[in-house]
Amino acid sequence: MTTPQVPDPATLAPSEEYDLYFGPNHPGIEGNYSVRVRLKGDVICQAVADGGYLHRGFEKIMEDRLWVQNIALVPRICVPDPVPMEESYARAVEMIGGLEVPLRAQWIRVLMLELSRICAHLFTFGGNAATIGLYTNMFWGVTMRDLFLDIFEEITGARIYHIYITPGGVRRDLPEGVLERIEALLVELEERMPQFEDLFFNNAVVIDRATGTGRMSAEEALAWGVTGPNLRATGVASDVRRDDPYLVYPQVDFDIVTETGGDALARMMVRKGEVVQAVKIVRQAIAALRKVGGPVRCELPNPLAWDLPAGDAYARTESSKGELGFYIVSNGGPRPYRVHVRGASSMHAVQVLEKLLVGSRIEDVAQIMFSLDACPPEVDR
Amino acid sequence: MSIPARLNEVLNELPAIQARPAGARRVRVDVAPQGLPALLELLKGRLGFIHLSAISCVDWIEDGQFELVYHVWSHEMKLLVSCHVRIAREPGVYVSVHDIHEPAGFFERDIHEMFGVHFDGAPSMEKFILTSWEGPPPMRKDFNTRKHVEETFEWVDYRPDWLKDIERKGGGIES
Amino acid sequence: MTDKPLKSHVRPPQDTMPGGAGQGCPAPDAQTRSIWRRIMDDFADHCRARSLFVLHYCTGCGAIELPPTITSRFDMERVGITPMVTPRQADILLITGYLSLKTLKRVILSYEQMQGPKYVLGFGSCTINGGMYWNSYATMKRLDQYIPTDLFIAGCMPRPEAVQQVLLKLIEDIDAGRANAWQDYYRNYDFYLGNQQRLFGAGWNTPTDVIGEARHYGYYGPGTEGEHTRLLAEGGGSAARLAHAEYPSTALTGRIKS
Ligand code: SF4
Repeated sequence: MTTPQVPDPATLAPSEEYDLYFGPNHPGIEGNYSVRVRLKGDVICQAVADGGYLHRGFEKIMEDRLWVQNIALVPRICVPDPVPMEESYARAVEMIGGLEVPLRAQWIRVLMLELSRICAHLFTFGGNAATIGLYTNMFWGVTMRDLFLDIFEEITGARIYHIYITPGGVRRDLPEGVLERIEALLVELEERMPQFEDLFFNNAVVIDRATGTGRMSAEEALAWGVTGPNLRATGVASDVRRDDPYLVYPQVDFDIVTETGGDALARMMVRKGEVVQAVKIVRQAIAALRKVGGPVRCELPNPLAWDLPAGDAYARTESSKGELGFYIVSNGGPRPYRVHVRGASSMHAVQVLEKLLVGSRIEDVAQIMFSLDACPPEVDR
Repeated sequence: MSIPARLNEVLNELPAIQARPAGARRVRVDVAPQGLPALLELLKGRLGFIHLSAISCVDWIEDGQFELVYHVWSHEMKLLVSCHVRIAREPGVYVSVHDIHEPAGFFERDIHEMFGVHFDGAPSMEKFILTSWEGPPPMRKDFNTRKHVEETFEWVDYRPDWLKDIERKGGGIES
Repeated sequence: MTDKPLKSHVRPPQDTMPGGAGQGCPAPDAQTRSIWRRIMDDFADHCRARSLFVLHYCTGCGAIELPPTITSRFDMERVGITPMVTPRQADILLITGYLSLKTLKRVILSYEQMQGPKYVLGFGSCTINGGMYWNSYATMKRLDQYIPTDLFIAGCMPRPEAVQQVLLKLIEDIDAGRANAWQDYYRNYDFYLGNQQRLFGAGWNTPTDVIGEARHYGYYGPGTEGEHTRLLAEGGGSAARLAHAEYPSTALTGRIKS
């Protein structure tokens, strides 16, 4: 680091524009991330995203570990929504190794993925409301999510990083009676939804501040590579679960939620709709799990001496943030030769954010970032 | 699994291309470095491969090559085409496809700082993640992260002297 | 990471510390304080322990367990702890997990901006010994080498209950006058600076005049200055002084214990 220079303000030419560092140590920023904005008054005329605060070199350290060891590593790539990470890694390995996942395990994975989606959306919902000063929503959203974390804990033993989905299936079967408890929780969530609706979507503050904030059109979103709820908020019905289906998603009945506004409000509406759809999917998974029995994992070789055949695979998953990609190359050894993670927010947390911020006001930076649901750890990896 | 006829038609228009199906809704295409921009352009214009999902880089150090993999997805055809090119590891220079797919800017910048591949014409080759890093591009195979860690950091001493003292007297935490 | 100044160096033995042999005003230790002062200090500690502000800085994955801890389910405010947005007004720096080198720089800057007494909690195994990322080139391995740490929480990631536990323990320690790690930063600044320089190069400097603060607080000790702080004077001493001149002097005088 170079020596910090503090110029004497008296020697500087008068200027209308000034730079402001937004983050990383800032309550409005999502996670550990930073945006440098150039302001004229309180309007942003240029924004530069600055990441890397959460860089851990995942792709490198995964090359250093066995195929099984990496199962424990991958969920940490995206903290608020870790299950799609496990799923993508497991599926890429299955694609290379030609493993068959038993039907029951597939349904369990769908269950986990959708529960995780609910959690992530509740979290974003709370965070987004907090950025415009509505702290009650944050308290409610986070607490509701916590009840789902209890379910995760019961199934997997951990609240956040479950390390549950393994190549070839899941680690162990569901505990007794958990399906009933999930159902009860879903009912509770549904009872809560009208309250969230009142508190957020029918709130004059939200409608005023979120309408038209960070708007993008469908053409722009497609050209910029936006995926997930942010793309659907512009009216494009694209969803990896439908277009490039994995697991048992072809048998699942759900709607792709779209909105046409393309702004912060539309993005939150899409998330709300997705929570409703996720509840629907979870119910179907519960019904299926009541019928489908059998093993939850296929036979694997000794995990400590497990050489995957040479090859490569690109697995895509619809996470709560968008399209998540895992590209894995194996050279036939006990460790991956190369893992590349396409973080679901790598587009909308960097290039798209930089574009959307231009022309908006300084007080909307946090809101735009949260409404895009940017997840810095998966950008930095 | 086979390659859809429409895709085959387009691929046949370009020289020196090998394509083969690689699983459900996946096609692998190997192309010479100079042919890639034209291929992406054709796929985008004719078959709707407008979504660049990712660009991955693989360091094949024994062959002295970098492999760049462009994953493009077509919302129309519901198909993922992975275009593989191999470029020489030294000097590691290639062209940017930012003018065809805007997301390429992010991935090229990432590959530049992790592997040191330079992309001509890219909008930005500045560091994004590793601004505090002065070593070699860390994702290259010849950079050994374990060795680097051993040289740079110190570990907690799990058996400090006072514990050894206690152990000598017959105590300690290990039975 | 250009020229690493030193592989390893030894801290001065702890028992030579109080009194700050030589320069600066001596730190009053428990024996030399007057009764009045002792009562005041105890009372201040007692009050301080009941109103703590945690700096709102999410440095790593553990930050995801903070919202549950703060919000209605576990509700940290019950014990008088609430988030605070600026380092200067915060008491607790919660290092929520791994620190990449880029973040570590910011953490050190934030830490130096905080006013004493300040407390650092290491959250998760990553702060203790690198945790999951022990072989990662990008993260630091031991937090207590770079800033003095009061308490660590084991676990990957620690649950909200564990976070609460450690905060209660911290309250207890503050109340009993035991949470004094921050003084070590002044007494052994050379040790911490040396470790920082090993990572960030010999030109590493921060705008805070730590040595001046050490004198002011009365924690100047034999370990405050040394070979590493000399580099500071050679390279960027002027910036440190310049930035120091910017501080309103009142910022440094609001302490009872001195
Ligand atoms: S200890 Fe575990 S949860 Fe905490 S930062 Fe490290 S990897 Fe993340």
